[in-house]
Amino acid sequence: MSRVRRIRAEAVAAARSFLRRRTAVFFTFFFPVILVVIFGALVRTQPTGGGLFAEPAGYYLPGYIGVVVLFTPLSRVGSEIARHRDGNRFEKLATTPLTRVEWLLAHTLVNVAIIGLASVLVFGLVLLVTDAAVRVTAALPAVAAFVVVGVAAFCGVGAALGSLADTQDGVIAASNTVALPILFLSETFVPPSLLPEWFLPAVAASPLTYFARGVRAITYDGGPWLGDLAVLSAIAVLTLAVGSRLLPRTD
Amino acid sequence: MENDPDVDGGGVGDQGVDGAGDPVLRADDVRKSYGEVTALSGADLAVGRGEVFGLIGPNGAGKTTLVRALTGTTAVEGTVRVLGTAPDAVDPERVGLLPQSFDPPGRLTARELVAYYAGLYDDARDVEAVLEAVGLASDADAWYETLSGGQRRRACVATALVNDPDVLFLDEPTTGIDPAGRRDIHRVIREAAAAGVTVFLTSHAMGEVERLADRVGLIREGSIVAVGSPESLIAAHGGEPTLTLRLEGAAERDVVESGVKAVRSGTPYDARRAGTTTARGGGAAGMAGAAGAAGTTDAAGAATIEITGVPLEGIGAVVDAVTDAGVGVESASWSEPSLEDVYLELTGEAYRPAGPESGTEASTGATPEPETKAGGDSERPESTAAEGSR
Repeated sequence: MSRVRRIRAEAVAAARSFLRRRTAVFFTFFFPVILVVIFGALVRTQPTGGGLFAEPAGYYLPGYIGVVVLFTPLSRVGSEIARHRDGNRFEKLATTPLTRVEWLLAHTLVNVAIIGLASVLVFGLVLLVTDAAVRVTAALPAVAAFVVVGVAAFCGVGAALGSLADTQDGVIAASNTVALPILFLSETFVPPSLLPEWFLPAVAASPLTYFARGVRAITYDGGPWLGDLAVLSAIAVLTLAVGSRLLPRTD
Repeated sequence: MENDPDVDGGGVGDQGVDGAGDPVLRADDVRKSYGEVTALSGADLAVGRGEVFGLIGPNGAGKTTLVRALTGTTAVEGTVRVLGTAPDAVDPERVGLLPQSFDPPGRLTARELVAYYAGLYDDARDVEAVLEAVGLASDADAWYETLSGGQRRRACVATALVNDPDVLFLDEPTTGIDPAGRRDIHRVIREAAAAGVTVFLTSHAMGEVERLADRVGLIREGSIVAVGSPESLIAAHGGEPTLTLRLEGAAERDVVESGVKAVRSGTPYDARRAGTTTARGGGAAGMAGAAGAAGTTDAAGAATIEITGVPLEGIGAVVDAVTDAGVGVESASWSEPSLEDVYLELTGEAYRPAGPESGTEASTGATPEPETKAGGDSERPESTAAEGSR
């Protein structure tokens, strides 16, 4: 119970701090919205097969959700670590019973809640402004599990970036540098058939690939998805372990 | 390390030791380097239970690194023991820390902030009681970032007290806050000490440390160079009380000398040059270099002299003697040596306070409001001053 109490205290404080930064809240939700509007409604796949995208609109739903699952944890957790370090908060936390794993779990929970809401918004918006069709099956709720595990995986990566980058500017630069290649080379917006064969192992190494494959299997093509969820879960455990290990104390 | 006679050989006071027979805090030959920069170069320290220990020293002397060594938030060479065990093995429920430059989340209210840290402990104090103790009860619903500097610091101190610690580390707790805020924090520290909490305090405010600490350690270039009660350090390194007289008009050297000599009565009062005003021949300036008399003359021709070694009860006699010699006294001020003088003597550099605290300057004629030491003793005034002429 002590552990739950500590995680809850940290999560409540983190959630309040975030929700009271209106600009951060606005852009957290506005970013995926504008992405869907630009690429889903304006650029979109043409009925004749023209346009930027080669696949039907439903193919790209995992990509749009993947944007928030990828970018938001990287930038939020990384920036939070920078703020903590600048304010000597980790030095203080190091003398409390809160462990580094608990700290990261608490912030992961906050990100899961925020990104869960953003994912629902993206999901609805894609259906609203594109002609995407979603398979409605008993497996559809499992998309939520992919969002939770995907967010956890990238919170771990964000923690590692935030710990290794020595400034808030450095965190932003590092997270953009990491996130952009991952986004476009993880079977989200670029089908693997368009990539050279020698590059496919890199695609297989990306956590977002398993998110995109699994969500696509559930919502679009009906393929198996449990294996993707298992791989993504294993990656999440690994990144959370590494990220929490790297969290700073003072030095 | 230089220990004064009222300190045990190991450097721990008589306030007692932890149940295991060790001091509550002990550092032996602690060393720490950041690259080629040496932060600690063999620091030794021992602090007993319930003691308020003040650590002073110049910027970069190693104060914060020593706090981090004692709290286990940085790895060091040497031996560090807290409550009888290694710092990283101490039950965190027993330790409270206010780090230097601590900046908690700005958009939590003071109440939420204290409740947040209370939630990290199994056995935390009542949040409202802690807010009351630090004087923030009436502002508890304001966001931290909207609080004044003093209120913010009090909120930060509250986060260090909320787990009712046995050992409290406060790294420059009053930096940047006003006198009223400082006083509130001083009160909180005294109450904690009275409740048996061991307090390890670092500060740039010499007066603060002198008022609060049972013992003071002075750190220089990574080593503790002196430890003792403020009184014993001042007695050993602070010099003697100084009487400063501002005379009406220029005074001839022999007149003032005769006045000083007249009140010596076997007490070796010495007069030395005072102030920074350039001496301009004649008058008190002519006393410079004369045995037992020295002074300056300002642009208006008035002389100022300082006489050292005059006890408080001797002020009247000196002033009488000077006026009897035909020299009017415009004002007189007297000051005892302070921890600032010790700092100056042992560090070899001028004391430059980081915050609004600047000690009590005899030349201003200000008399500090008496405060009470952590142990409850009344504090003597640091200086007295009188204005007027005779």
